[in-house]
Amino acid sequence: MSTKAPEIPSPEQRLNLLKNRVKPTLALAVGLGIAGGFVLIAQALIVAGLVHRVMVNGAGYREVLPQLLRLPPLMLVRAALSWASERVAFAASALIRQEVRNDLFQRLLDAGPLRLKGDRAGEVATVIVDGVEALEGYYSRYLPHLAVMAMVPLSILAAVVPADWISAGIMLFTAPFIPFFTILIGRGAERLNQRQWQSLARLGGYFLDRVNGLATLRMFNASRREAGMIARISDDYRLATMSVLYVAFLSALVLEFFATVSVALMAVIIGFRLLKGGMAFQDGFTVLLLAPEFYLPLRLMGNYYHARMEAIGAAERIFSMLDTPVAPRPLAPCPLPAITPLRICFEDVSFRYTPDSAPAIDGVTLSLTSGERVALVGPSGAGKSTLAALLLCFALPEQGRVMVNGVDLAQCDPDQWRRLVAWVPQRPHIFHGTMRDNIRLGRRDAADPDILRAAGLARCEEFIARLPQGLDTVIGEQGAGLSGGQARRIALARVFLKDSPLIITDEPTAGLDARSEAMVRESLNELARGRAVLSIAHRLATLEDADRVVVMNEGRIVEQGGYEELKGAGGLFARMAAAGEGP
Amino acid sequence: MRDVCRLLKLAWPYRAWLVAALGLSLVTLLANVGLLALSGWFIAAMALAGISGIPINYHYPAAGIRALAILRTLGRYAERVVSHQASLRLLAGLRVWIFRRVEPLAPARLEGYASGDLLSRIRADIDCLDTFYLRLLAPVLTALFACLLFILFLWHFSFAVALATALLLLLAGGFLPLAVHLLGRKPGARVTRTSSELRTAVVDGLRGMEELLAYDAAGRQKERVEELNRRLLADQARLAGLAGISAGGVGLCSGLALWLSLVISIPLVRAGSMSGPQMVMLGLFCQAAFEAVLPLPPAFLLLGQTLAAARRIFSLVDEPPAVSEPQKPSPLPANAAISLRGVGFSYGDGVATLEGIDLELSPGRKVAVVGVSGAGKSTLLALLLRFREYDSGSIILAGREIREYDGEDVRRLLAVAGQQPFLFNATLRENLLIARPGAVEEEMVAAARMAGIHDEIAALAQGYDTPAGEGGVKLSGGQVRRLAIARAILKNAPILILDEATSSLDTESERIVQAALEKLMQGRTTICIAHRLSTVQRADLIVVLDKGRIVETGTHAELLRSGRVYTKLYELQFEQPAA
Repeated sequence: MSTKAPEIPSPEQRLNLLKNRVKPTLALAVGLGIAGGFVLIAQALIVAGLVHRVMVNGAGYREVLPQLLRLPPLMLVRAALSWASERVAFAASALIRQEVRNDLFQRLLDAGPLRLKGDRAGEVATVIVDGVEALEGYYSRYLPHLAVMAMVPLSILAAVVPADWISAGIMLFTAPFIPFFTILIGRGAERLNQRQWQSLARLGGYFLDRVNGLATLRMFNASRREAGMIARISDDYRLATMSVLYVAFLSALVLEFFATVSVALMAVIIGFRLLKGGMAFQDGFTVLLLAPEFYLPLRLMGNYYHARMEAIGAAERIFSMLDTPVAPRPLAPCPLPAITPLRICFEDVSFRYTPDSAPAIDGVTLSLTSGERVALVGPSGAGKSTLAALLLCFALPEQGRVMVNGVDLAQCDPDQWRRLVAWVPQRPHIFHGTMRDNIRLGRRDAADPDILRAAGLARCEEFIARLPQGLDTVIGEQGAGLSGGQARRIALARVFLKDSPLIITDEPTAGLDARSEAMVRESLNELARGRAVLSIAHRLATLEDADRVVVMNEGRIVEQGGYEELKGAGGLFARMAAAGEGP
Repeated sequence: MRDVCRLLKLAWPYRAWLVAALGLSLVTLLANVGLLALSGWFIAAMALAGISGIPINYHYPAAGIRALAILRTLGRYAERVVSHQASLRLLAGLRVWIFRRVEPLAPARLEGYASGDLLSRIRADIDCLDTFYLRLLAPVLTALFACLLFILFLWHFSFAVALATALLLLLAGGFLPLAVHLLGRKPGARVTRTSSELRTAVVDGLRGMEELLAYDAAGRQKERVEELNRRLLADQARLAGLAGISAGGVGLCSGLALWLSLVISIPLVRAGSMSGPQMVMLGLFCQAAFEAVLPLPPAFLLLGQTLAAARRIFSLVDEPPAVSEPQKPSPLPANAAISLRGVGFSYGDGVATLEGIDLELSPGRKVAVVGVSGAGKSTLLALLLRFREYDSGSIILAGREIREYDGEDVRRLLAVAGQQPFLFNATLRENLLIARPGAVEEEMVAAARMAGIHDEIAALAQGYDTPAGEGGVKLSGGQVRRLAIARAILKNAPILILDEATSSLDTESERIVQAALEKLMQGRTTICIAHRLSTVQRADLIVVLDKGRIVETGTHAELLRSGRVYTKLYELQFEQPAA
């Protein structure tokens, strides 16, 4: 899948390819549906024969009893077949949805965190949850129905031909018009429809956005004005939608027209032929009973067309996500060397996010060993976070190597390497779950005393103690109810718990008040003893703990040295210091 | 039941549309049943006439068949158009209604709803309410009227057939939907819950991927997603099974109705008390009548979900606002002098968030409020903005208690550059003009220039028309802050509130923002809230808050001399003894 095929298959072709995974199940669903059609024909033939004998031949209970008794079991069988067909079709669609959803999630994990910057997560989750849900109708209704639609009307036609070839002729003549018009009008409506769905999504987004920003709106006394805007936009949307729907419903109108008027026409023609004695009542009645059923699958086609449209709309996003390139991994990873003490070396490393963008890291050479604290500083966009990402194996260098005790990191199993690294990102993520589970991310088997000790070092014990259920308190979605500073301290607690030889932090004390910041820094100082620490700093005030300050700009290292030394050197660092701290 | 009544009340303004949709769907249904029954009668009567040679007036029935066919076709089209009109109007009305009801709740009462997922639930809930009218209310009423008419019609010919059909209709349209509703309630509720858990697990997996990878926990998260996925589909399969049973059940009832009508009619026809064509007509009529109840079971499968959505929305809009507006608000004050005397506030958890706050905000004065996080700074701000109601003491604005004014009038006096400015999914221009919709281009550009953001906006390809917000251009934290400052400038209010306007900015951005603020503060009453002290040293008065109380007041120099809380904060931040 990762190789680029010269011709990219359309989303629908790919949906069809997925079908192969459940072919037998789908075939069973279709078989059950067609069997239901046969039962229906049998039922119609019996009813028509029975009524003929009662009405024309003057038969009573005694004469028609066998036929009469045959009907209820047939009806029961038909109900059972329709139920079974639906269950089986659902099972097929469920299997596909399950696999697609799991594949999507796995694919995003394989692609790694750099492909997906946090802000898009909500959107992506919508595709994984709701987008995949939209495939349901395609496999459980549209595809089985396609086959049933081909088979059942044909069987009915076969039953009608011996009874009345004129009616069969009408059916044969009118039937093709229905798909023809569905497609003809559907094509035009499809485009309009899609635009309409988009604008529906926009309207929904507008509403949500304004509710999200209500506090801001109120601050500027703009909220009542916005209520009027929502009313106006909804109204515009209604007018636009309706102008599309007037046309779109025309296709349904044509369908109905052909189906209904054909049945009426057949009834009238049969009536006159019966009057003239040209056919038996039994045959005429058989046709009348079967004619609506002949058109029913064709009419339903319109409904299932909608399921198809929805699936195709979702498929585009699903497949483009499934095509996300995966982060490269070594096929046969080398074992990691012994890591005490740790010696990390960036050797002339370069990296770009996309082939046509400017290098984010440009020829960086840097070393870091156990017991050393290196601080990375520089303006935003200088490449500090990218350097950390390379060290975490979230991406591999385009040029140069990251060596760990003499082994190229690109040749190692990234999972194994990351077991040795503790990481505090700039905006730590708090998972939905208990406080205990959130801290225990650092070490899965940690017991409560260890967790509390780590929490204490990260200065979270105070606010954890204030939580209603302490460590058992469930933290809301995306850390709802926690301040940024608290989230950062939880992330720090993970680091204290993990006890790893390499620690990478991205501005670990931002958003903390002065008192907490001082305490956390003290704890970090203790932890750093004997370990290698790479810390990214946005503010210069936090640099004094570092053994070495590395100044980056535009992907390159422009200066490095001690804090005081650099301050006096008159370079970028000195300028930044002067701008930030005053005299 | 109360929820259903409230839902009906909400739909009342759109009753004409709903009744029209109902009427049209009834006409369409009757035309279809009539078409089949009349066709059956017609061919049977024609056949008998052909056999017996007795002449028959075939003009009316034949014309009737054609008329019913056309009526059904056109009726269906009209019904679709009208019901979509009704639905879209209702949806628009519901949105505006909810927005107007939720608006006074922000931000104090919405804090529990802070996460975007809960808000998107509101949106899903509104859509869910829409299905109540279209897919539940309308089909139930249509079925009720139609079944009544059907039974009366059948009764005219045979009481027994009418009774048998009535019982079967009750089974298919009453018992079956009820059973489906009851059996589907639990899996339905689980589906809603599981899919929201699944969404959370996926978002957690994506937002927290760096941590999951770094802590070797990605596999566990994936297992969780797979488990939730499996559970979701299992419950959906249960619901699909119920839908299948109900569809098969309605079909079975319809077949049995035909069968019973034949069983009842056969002896009557033989005895001559019923004609053959009547038997055919009744049989087909009974069978077709079930089209009326066909949509009911799937609709009732949704009932639990729909009512749950309604309850969530009602409980949200029923929350009392944190601040109630005065019946007769005092006129907008001319000057903007505010003084706080002994103001106290508590979030109701027994802890006083603010207590005995005294503060004079006379025009032109620059007051800084400092303190550690949780000291009550943001709460103080919410009280001034009339987002929250103080419990004790008084806040006097131009000689009157602040709660005597309309909240909007009070906020006209205050321009806030906030800690977490919100950017709407709109162009940068629209985002700026929220502060003053009537502002002309020059005023907006001047404000942006003053906030030090104009050059960066002008450098964008689309300039001020660049879309911002979630789907728009990515702005750095510093740029967003400066946009917020430009908004505050544009608002041009006598009191300026800076809430942590420069915290967590990198050094370079902080310098630009600080320069913009200095200009803006000239000649304005300013309240500057900060936990970093570098920004407040030039204030006329510094107020140190700690655990909801004012513990120190004075100028920077005075406070450093006193050597108490402020001095300690200062030393911690600059790690140097206060000289």
